[in-house]
Amino acid sequence: MKIVKNAVAGTLESSDAYVQVEPNEAGIEIVLESVVLTQFGDDIKASVMEVLAENEVTNAKVSVNDRGAIDCTIRARVETALKRAQGDL
Amino acid sequence: MEYTNFYEEFGSPLNPRKRKKLEEFLAKQDLRYDEQIEETVNLVDGDGNIAATCSLHANVLKCIAVSENYQGYGLSPRVVTLMINRANEKGIKHLFLFTKPKNYQMFTDMGFYPITQTEDILLMENDRGGIDRYIDSLPKGNSSENIGAIVMNCNPFTNGHRYLVETAAAQCDTLHLFVLSEDKSEFPAAVRYELVKKGVADIPNVIVHQTSDYLISSAVFPTYFIKDISKAEDANCILDLKIFCEHFAKKMNITKRFVGTEPTCQVTNAYNQQMKTVLSSYGIEVIEIQRKEWDGRAISASVVRDYLHKCDIEATKNLVPPTTYEYLEKEGYRYKK
Repeated sequence: MKIVKNAVAGTLESSDAYVQVEPNEAGIEIVLESVVLTQFGDDIKASVMEVLAENEVTNAKVSVNDRGAIDCTIRARVETALKRAQGDL
Repeated sequence: MEYTNFYEEFGSPLNPRKRKKLEEFLAKQDLRYDEQIEETVNLVDGDGNIAATCSLHANVLKCIAVSENYQGYGLSPRVVTLMINRANEKGIKHLFLFTKPKNYQMFTDMGFYPITQTEDILLMENDRGGIDRYIDSLPKGNSSENIGAIVMNCNPFTNGHRYLVETAAAQCDTLHLFVLSEDKSEFPAAVRYELVKKGVADIPNVIVHQTSDYLISSAVFPTYFIKDISKAEDANCILDLKIFCEHFAKKMNITKRFVGTEPTCQVTNAYNQQMKTVLSSYGIEVIEIQRKEWDGRAISASVVRDYLHKCDIEATKNLVPPTTYEYLEKEGYRYKK
Protein backbone atom coordinates (compact mmCIF):
# COMPACT_ATOMS: atom_id res chain seq x y z
CA MET A 1 0.00 0.00 0.00
CA LYS A 2 1.37 3.39 -0.96
CA ILE A 3 0.70 6.44 1.22
CA VAL A 4 0.03 9.38 -1.09
CA LYS A 5 -1.70 11.95 1.11
CA ASN A 6 -2.30 13.03 4.67
CA ALA A 7 -5.14 11.32 6.47
CA VAL A 8 -6.51 11.05 9.99
CA ALA A 9 -8.67 8.62 11.93
CA GLY A 10 -10.05 8.45 15.46
CA THR A 11 -10.72 11.11 18.05
CA LEU A 12 -9.09 12.68 21.07
CA GLU A 13 -11.78 11.33 23.36
CA SER A 14 -10.88 9.20 26.33
CA SER A 15 -10.26 5.50 25.46
CA ASP A 16 -9.71 6.36 21.81
CA ALA A 17 -6.66 7.27 19.75
CA TYR A 18 -6.10 9.99 17.14
CA VAL A 19 -3.98 8.75 14.26
CA GLN A 20 -2.39 10.91 11.55
CA VAL A 21 -0.67 9.39 8.53
CA GLU A 22 1.56 11.28 6.11
CA PRO A 23 3.67 10.29 3.12
CA ASN A 24 7.34 9.79 3.95
CA GLU A 25 10.34 9.76 1.61
CA ALA A 26 12.05 6.71 2.99
CA GLY A 27 11.06 4.33 5.73
CA ILE A 28 8.64 4.29 8.62
CA GLU A 29 8.56 7.00 11.22
CA ILE A 30 6.33 6.62 14.25
CA VAL A 31 5.60 9.42 16.71
CA LEU A 32 3.72 8.17 19.73
CA GLU A 33 2.03 10.16 22.46
CA SER A 34 0.15 8.29 25.12
CA VAL A 35 -1.23 8.72 28.59
CA VAL A 36 0.28 5.30 29.33
CA LEU A 37 3.50 5.83 27.41
CA THR A 38 5.79 4.48 30.12
CA GLN A 39 3.68 1.37 30.72
CA PHE A 40 2.62 0.43 27.18
CA GLY A 41 4.60 2.62 24.78
CA ASP A 42 6.59 -0.25 23.30
CA ASP A 43 3.52 -2.48 22.94
CA ILE A 44 1.60 0.25 21.14
CA LYS A 45 4.52 0.86 18.77
CA ALA A 46 4.76 -2.89 18.06
CA SER A 47 1.04 -2.97 17.25
CA VAL A 48 1.37 -0.01 14.88
CA MET A 49 4.34 -1.67 13.15
CA GLU A 50 2.32 -4.89 12.75
CA VAL A 51 -0.58 -3.07 11.10
CA LEU A 52 1.87 -1.31 8.78
CA ALA A 53 3.48 -4.65 7.87
CA GLU A 54 0.09 -6.33 7.28
CA ASN A 55 -0.78 -3.58 4.83
CA GLU A 56 2.66 -3.65 3.23
CA VAL A 57 3.35 -0.01 3.99
CA THR A 58 7.06 0.75 3.77
CA ASN A 59 7.15 4.55 3.62
CA ALA A 60 4.98 6.56 6.00
CA LYS A 61 5.01 8.93 8.89
CA VAL A 62 2.49 7.85 11.50
CA SER A 63 1.65 9.90 14.58
CA VAL A 64 -0.51 8.27 17.21
CA ASN A 65 -2.02 10.33 20.00
CA ASP A 66 -3.33 7.64 22.31
CA ARG A 67 -5.84 8.54 24.98
CA GLY A 68 -5.83 5.13 26.67
CA ALA A 69 -7.29 3.04 23.84
CA ILE A 70 -7.23 -0.76 23.96
CA ASP A 71 -5.08 -2.62 21.43
CA CYS A 72 -7.81 -3.42 18.90
CA THR A 73 -8.93 0.22 18.85
CA ILE A 74 -5.42 1.42 18.08
CA ARG A 75 -5.05 -1.17 15.31
CA ALA A 76 -8.40 -0.21 13.80
CA ARG A 77 -7.62 3.51 13.90
CA VAL A 78 -4.21 3.00 12.25
CA GLU A 79 -5.68 0.78 9.55
CA THR A 80 -8.45 3.27 8.77
CA ALA A 81 -6.00 6.16 8.55
CA LEU A 82 -3.76 4.12 6.21
CA LYS A 83 -6.67 3.28 3.93
CA ARG A 84 -7.75 6.91 3.82
CA ALA A 85 -4.19 7.93 2.98
CA GLN A 86 -4.06 5.74 -0.12
CA GLY A 87 -5.70 8.44 -2.15
CA ASP A 88 -8.57 6.72 -3.95
CA LEU A 89 -10.94 6.41 -0.99
CA MET B 1 -29.49 13.01 26.39
CA GLU B 2 -27.99 10.38 24.17
CA TYR B 3 -24.30 11.03 23.51
CA THR B 4 -24.60 10.85 19.75
CA ASN B 5 -27.64 13.13 19.40
CA PHE B 6 -25.69 16.17 18.31
CA TYR B 7 -25.66 17.79 14.92
CA GLU B 8 -22.31 19.05 13.62
CA GLU B 9 -22.55 22.55 12.22
CA PHE B 10 -19.62 23.89 10.21
CA GLY B 11 -18.93 27.41 9.00
CA SER B 12 -15.96 29.08 7.31
CA PRO B 13 -16.88 31.32 9.07
CA LEU B 14 -20.52 30.98 10.19
CA ASN B 15 -23.22 32.99 8.43
CA PRO B 16 -24.46 36.11 10.29
CA ARG B 17 -27.53 34.42 11.80
CA LYS B 18 -25.59 31.46 13.20
CA ARG B 19 -22.78 33.73 14.24
CA LYS B 20 -25.18 35.82 16.32
CA LYS B 21 -26.35 32.67 18.07
CA LEU B 22 -22.73 31.71 18.75
CA GLU B 23 -21.92 35.18 20.09
CA GLU B 24 -24.80 34.90 22.56
CA PHE B 25 -23.62 31.44 23.59
CA LEU B 26 -20.06 32.63 24.13
CA ALA B 27 -21.22 35.68 26.09
CA LYS B 28 -22.83 33.34 28.63
CA GLN B 29 -19.39 31.81 29.16
CA ASP B 30 -17.72 35.20 29.56
CA LEU B 31 -16.09 34.93 26.13
CA ARG B 32 -16.19 37.25 23.14
CA TYR B 33 -16.37 36.13 19.53
CA ASP B 34 -12.96 36.67 17.89
CA GLU B 35 -13.35 38.65 14.67
CA GLN B 36 -10.44 36.86 13.01
CA ILE B 37 -12.01 33.40 13.12
CA GLU B 38 -11.80 31.53 9.83
CA GLU B 39 -13.51 28.24 10.71
CA THR B 40 -16.07 27.27 13.31
CA VAL B 41 -17.64 23.97 14.30
CA ASN B 42 -20.59 23.70 16.68
CA LEU B 43 -22.22 20.66 18.22
CA VAL B 44 -25.93 21.46 18.30
CA ASP B 45 -28.48 19.54 20.38
CA GLY B 46 -31.96 18.34 19.31
CA ASP B 47 -33.55 21.65 20.33
CA GLY B 48 -31.18 23.68 18.17
CA ASN B 49 -29.10 24.96 21.09
CA ILE B 50 -25.32 25.05 20.89
CA ALA B 51 -23.80 22.41 23.16
CA ALA B 52 -20.14 22.92 22.32
CA THR B 53 -18.05 25.05 19.98
CA CYS B 54 -14.50 25.42 18.69
CA SER B 55 -12.99 27.80 16.11
CA LEU B 56 -9.78 28.21 14.16
CA HIS B 57 -7.77 31.24 13.06
CA ALA B 58 -4.60 30.38 11.10
CA ASN B 59 -2.93 27.77 13.33
CA VAL B 60 -4.60 28.83 16.58
CA LEU B 61 -7.66 27.17 18.13
CA LYS B 62 -9.97 29.80 19.58
CA CYS B 63 -13.26 30.27 21.39
CA ILE B 64 -13.58 26.73 22.75
CA ALA B 65 -16.59 26.34 25.02
CA VAL B 66 -19.08 23.74 26.25
CA SER B 67 -22.60 24.60 27.45
CA GLU B 68 -23.06 24.26 31.19
CA ASN B 69 -25.94 21.85 30.48
CA TYR B 70 -23.52 19.42 28.86
CA GLN B 71 -20.51 19.54 31.14
CA GLY B 72 -19.12 16.08 31.81
CA TYR B 73 -20.35 14.54 28.53
CA GLY B 74 -16.87 14.63 27.00
CA LEU B 75 -17.94 17.13 24.36
CA SER B 76 -14.79 19.23 24.41
CA PRO B 77 -12.46 16.52 23.04
CA ARG B 78 -15.12 15.76 20.47
CA VAL B 79 -15.48 19.30 19.21
CA VAL B 80 -11.70 19.87 19.30
CA THR B 81 -11.17 16.67 17.27
CA LEU B 82 -13.57 17.95 14.62
CA MET B 83 -11.61 21.19 14.36
CA ILE B 84 -8.25 19.41 14.25
CA ASN B 85 -9.60 17.28 11.40
CA ARG B 86 -10.60 20.46 9.60
CA ALA B 87 -7.14 21.97 10.19
CA ASN B 88 -5.57 18.78 8.84
CA GLU B 89 -7.63 19.06 5.67
CA LYS B 90 -6.22 22.57 5.26
CA GLY B 91 -2.72 21.15 5.76
CA ILE B 92 -2.18 22.68 9.20
CA LYS B 93 -0.67 20.15 11.60
CA HIS B 94 1.02 22.25 14.22
CA LEU B 95 -1.66 23.90 16.35
CA PHE B 96 -1.59 26.34 19.23
CA LEU B 97 -4.15 27.44 21.75
CA PHE B 98 -4.38 30.16 24.35
CA THR B 99 -6.49 29.46 27.39
CA LYS B 100 -6.98 30.23 31.05
CA PRO B 101 -4.44 28.46 33.27
CA LYS B 102 -7.25 26.58 35.05
CA ASN B 103 -7.94 24.63 31.83
CA TYR B 104 -4.48 23.08 31.88
CA GLN B 105 -5.65 19.55 32.72
CA MET B 106 -8.45 19.54 30.17
CA PHE B 107 -6.16 20.33 27.25
CA THR B 108 -3.35 18.13 28.48
CA ASP B 109 -5.84 15.27 28.24
CA MET B 110 -6.33 16.13 24.57
CA GLY B 111 -2.64 15.98 23.74
CA PHE B 112 -1.67 19.63 24.14
CA TYR B 113 1.55 20.60 25.90
CA PRO B 114 2.30 23.84 27.73
CA ILE B 115 4.80 26.32 26.30
CA THR B 116 4.55 29.13 28.82
CA GLN B 117 2.05 30.47 31.27
CA THR B 118 1.42 33.74 33.00
CA GLU B 119 -1.14 34.62 35.65
CA ASP B 120 -3.86 35.08 33.04
CA ILE B 121 -2.87 33.03 30.03
CA LEU B 122 -1.62 29.58 29.22
CA LEU B 123 -0.14 28.92 25.77
CA MET B 124 -0.11 25.32 24.52
CA GLU B 125 0.89 23.43 21.38
CA ASN B 126 -0.01 19.96 20.13
CA ASP B 127 3.59 18.85 19.68
CA ARG B 128 5.45 17.72 22.80
CA GLY B 129 8.70 19.66 23.11
CA GLY B 130 8.03 21.41 19.80
CA ILE B 131 9.53 24.70 20.91
CA ASP B 132 12.69 23.07 22.28
CA ARG B 133 13.23 21.14 19.05
CA TYR B 134 12.69 24.34 17.09
CA ILE B 135 15.29 26.24 19.13
CA ASP B 136 17.71 23.31 18.93
CA SER B 137 17.45 23.49 15.15
CA LEU B 138 18.54 27.15 15.02
CA PRO B 139 22.16 27.92 14.13
CA LYS B 140 23.95 29.02 17.31
CA GLY B 141 27.27 30.51 16.25
CA ASN B 142 30.61 29.73 17.88
CA SER B 143 30.66 31.79 21.04
CA SER B 144 29.38 30.46 24.33
CA GLU B 145 29.14 33.75 26.17
CA ASN B 146 28.39 37.41 25.61
CA ILE B 147 25.45 36.54 23.37
CA GLY B 148 22.87 39.17 22.51
CA ALA B 149 19.53 39.26 20.73
CA ILE B 150 17.27 41.69 18.92
CA VAL B 151 13.66 40.97 18.05
CA MET B 152 12.27 43.21 15.37
CA ASN B 153 9.69 43.57 12.68
CA CYS B 154 11.65 45.54 10.04
CA ASN B 155 8.73 46.69 7.94
CA PRO B 156 10.92 47.35 5.92
CA PHE B 157 14.62 47.26 6.96
CA THR B 158 15.88 50.87 7.36
CA ASN B 159 19.13 52.61 8.27
CA GLY B 160 17.68 52.88 11.77
CA HIS B 161 17.57 49.08 12.06
CA ARG B 162 20.98 48.82 10.47
CA TYR B 163 22.41 51.22 13.06
CA LEU B 164 20.80 49.30 15.93
CA VAL B 165 22.25 46.01 14.64
CA GLU B 166 25.72 47.50 14.06
CA THR B 167 25.87 49.05 17.52
CA ALA B 168 24.59 45.90 19.22
CA ALA B 169 26.88 43.59 17.24
CA ALA B 170 29.87 45.61 18.41
CA GLN B 171 28.89 44.87 22.02
CA CYS B 172 28.60 41.06 21.80
CA ASP B 173 30.39 38.03 20.41
CA THR B 174 27.28 36.67 18.72
CA LEU B 175 24.10 38.58 17.95
CA HIS B 176 20.88 36.72 17.17
CA LEU B 177 18.42 38.65 15.07
CA PHE B 178 14.80 37.46 15.11
CA VAL B 179 12.51 38.88 12.46
CA LEU B 180 8.88 38.76 13.55
CA SER B 181 6.25 37.12 11.43
CA GLU B 182 3.30 39.43 11.39
CA ASP B 183 0.72 38.75 8.72
CA LYS B 184 -0.59 42.25 9.00
CA SER B 185 2.66 44.00 8.08
CA GLU B 186 2.64 45.67 4.69
CA PHE B 187 5.83 43.91 3.69
CA PRO B 188 5.37 40.13 3.60
CA ALA B 189 7.44 38.13 6.10
CA ALA B 190 9.60 36.55 3.39
CA VAL B 191 10.51 39.94 1.90
CA ARG B 192 11.31 41.45 5.29
CA TYR B 193 13.54 38.48 6.15
CA GLU B 194 15.41 38.71 2.85
CA LEU B 195 15.99 42.47 3.21
CA VAL B 196 17.32 42.04 6.75
CA LYS B 197 19.58 39.21 5.66
CA LYS B 198 21.03 41.20 2.76
CA GLY B 199 21.23 44.35 4.86
CA VAL B 200 23.43 42.80 7.57
CA ALA B 201 25.35 40.29 5.42
CA ASP B 202 28.61 42.23 5.95
CA ILE B 203 28.48 42.03 9.76
CA PRO B 204 30.14 38.69 10.58
CA ASN B 205 28.82 37.97 14.09
CA VAL B 206 25.12 38.42 13.28
CA ILE B 207 22.84 35.41 12.76
CA VAL B 208 19.45 36.20 11.21
CA HIS B 209 16.66 33.78 12.06
CA GLN B 210 13.66 32.97 9.96
CA THR B 211 10.37 33.93 11.49
CA SER B 212 8.71 31.29 13.59
CA ASP B 213 5.39 30.35 15.15
CA TYR B 214 6.82 30.94 18.59
CA LEU B 215 7.55 34.62 18.39
CA ILE B 216 3.94 35.50 18.62
CA SER B 217 2.63 38.36 16.62
CA SER B 218 0.01 40.50 18.26
CA ALA B 219 -2.19 39.83 15.25
CA VAL B 220 -2.73 36.22 16.32
CA PHE B 221 -2.90 36.87 20.02
CA PRO B 222 -6.47 36.42 21.21
CA THR B 223 -8.12 38.65 23.77
CA TYR B 224 -11.57 37.09 23.75
CA PHE B 225 -11.23 35.40 27.14
CA ILE B 226 -9.70 38.31 29.02
CA LYS B 227 -12.51 40.20 30.74
CA ASP B 228 -10.82 43.56 30.93
CA ILE B 229 -9.81 44.33 27.37
CA SER B 230 -7.44 47.12 28.46
CA LYS B 231 -5.41 44.49 30.33
CA ALA B 232 -5.13 42.29 27.26
CA GLU B 233 -2.26 44.20 25.69
CA ASP B 234 -0.24 43.89 28.90
CA ALA B 235 -0.97 40.20 29.24
CA ASN B 236 0.10 39.63 25.64
CA CYS B 237 3.40 41.36 26.14
CA ILE B 238 4.24 39.54 29.38
CA LEU B 239 3.55 36.17 27.71
CA ASP B 240 5.69 37.12 24.74
CA LEU B 241 8.59 38.17 27.00
CA LYS B 242 8.31 35.00 29.09
CA ILE B 243 8.57 32.82 25.99
CA PHE B 244 11.68 34.72 25.03
CA CYS B 245 13.25 34.30 28.49
CA GLU B 246 12.21 30.75 29.34
CA HIS B 247 12.95 29.19 25.97
CA PHE B 248 15.02 31.31 23.58
CA ALA B 249 17.30 33.04 26.09
CA LYS B 250 17.73 29.95 28.25
CA LYS B 251 18.62 27.58 25.42
CA MET B 252 20.73 30.03 23.45
CA ASN B 253 22.55 31.56 26.44
CA ILE B 254 21.31 35.00 25.57
CA THR B 255 22.24 37.52 28.27
CA LYS B 256 21.56 40.82 26.52
CA ARG B 257 18.62 42.13 24.58
CA PHE B 258 18.90 45.31 22.56
CA VAL B 259 16.09 47.72 21.76
CA GLY B 260 15.88 51.09 20.10
CA THR B 261 14.73 54.01 22.25
CA GLU B 262 11.20 55.11 21.63
CA PRO B 263 10.83 58.87 21.67
CA THR B 264 7.35 59.16 20.21
CA CYS B 265 5.22 56.03 20.59
CA GLN B 266 3.75 55.60 24.09
CA VAL B 267 2.76 51.97 23.52
CA THR B 268 6.23 50.85 22.47
CA ASN B 269 7.72 52.84 25.30
CA ALA B 270 5.50 51.01 27.80
CA TYR B 271 6.52 47.71 26.20
CA ASN B 272 10.20 48.57 26.62
CA GLN B 273 9.63 49.38 30.30
CA GLN B 274 7.82 46.08 30.82
CA MET B 275 10.66 44.30 29.04
CA LYS B 276 13.18 45.66 31.52
CA THR B 277 11.14 44.40 34.47
CA VAL B 278 10.49 40.91 33.09
CA LEU B 279 13.91 40.28 31.56
CA SER B 280 15.86 41.46 34.57
CA SER B 281 14.06 38.86 36.71
CA TYR B 282 15.65 36.24 34.42
CA GLY B 283 19.05 37.91 34.63
CA ILE B 284 18.92 39.31 31.11
CA GLU B 285 20.15 42.83 30.55
CA VAL B 286 18.08 45.20 28.41
CA ILE B 287 20.21 47.73 26.54
CA GLU B 288 18.49 50.71 24.95
CA ILE B 289 20.23 52.22 21.96
CA GLN B 290 19.54 55.78 20.89
CA ARG B 291 17.66 55.96 17.61
CA LYS B 292 19.58 57.06 14.55
CA GLU B 293 18.39 60.32 13.03
CA TRP B 294 18.34 61.73 9.54
CA ASP B 295 17.65 65.39 8.91
CA GLY B 296 16.70 65.94 12.54
CA ARG B 297 14.11 63.16 12.65
CA ALA B 298 14.42 59.64 14.06
CA ILE B 299 14.45 57.15 11.19
CA SER B 300 11.46 54.88 11.36
CA ALA B 301 9.93 52.32 9.07
CA SER B 302 6.58 54.07 9.25
CA VAL B 303 8.09 57.22 7.67
CA VAL B 304 9.46 55.05 4.85
CA ARG B 305 6.04 53.50 4.37
CA ASP B 306 4.42 56.95 4.24
CA TYR B 307 6.70 57.88 1.34
CA LEU B 308 5.87 54.62 -0.42
CA HIS B 309 2.14 55.25 0.01
CA LYS B 310 2.68 58.47 -1.92
CA CYS B 311 4.86 56.56 -4.38
CA ASP B 312 7.81 58.85 -3.57
CA ILE B 313 10.48 56.16 -3.75
CA GLU B 314 13.34 58.66 -4.22
CA ALA B 315 12.65 60.16 -0.80
CA THR B 316 13.46 56.86 0.93
CA LYS B 317 16.98 56.75 -0.48
CA ASN B 318 18.61 58.36 2.54
CA LEU B 319 16.56 56.36 5.04
CA VAL B 320 17.25 52.78 3.93
CA PRO B 321 20.43 50.82 3.15
CA PRO B 322 21.31 50.28 -0.54
CA THR B 323 20.12 46.67 -0.30
CA THR B 324 16.60 47.75 0.72
CA TYR B 325 16.58 50.64 -1.79
CA GLU B 326 17.41 48.25 -4.61
CA TYR B 327 14.26 46.29 -3.74
CA LEU B 328 12.13 49.42 -3.36
CA GLU B 329 13.23 50.75 -6.76
CA LYS B 330 11.90 47.58 -8.34
CA GLU B 331 8.91 46.74 -6.16
CA GLY B 332 8.17 49.95 -4.23
CA TYR B 333 5.19 50.80 -6.45
CA ARG B 334 3.31 47.85 -4.94
CA TYR B 335 2.97 49.70 -1.67
CA LYS B 336 1.22 52.73 -3.10
CA LYS B 337 -2.05 53.59 -1.42
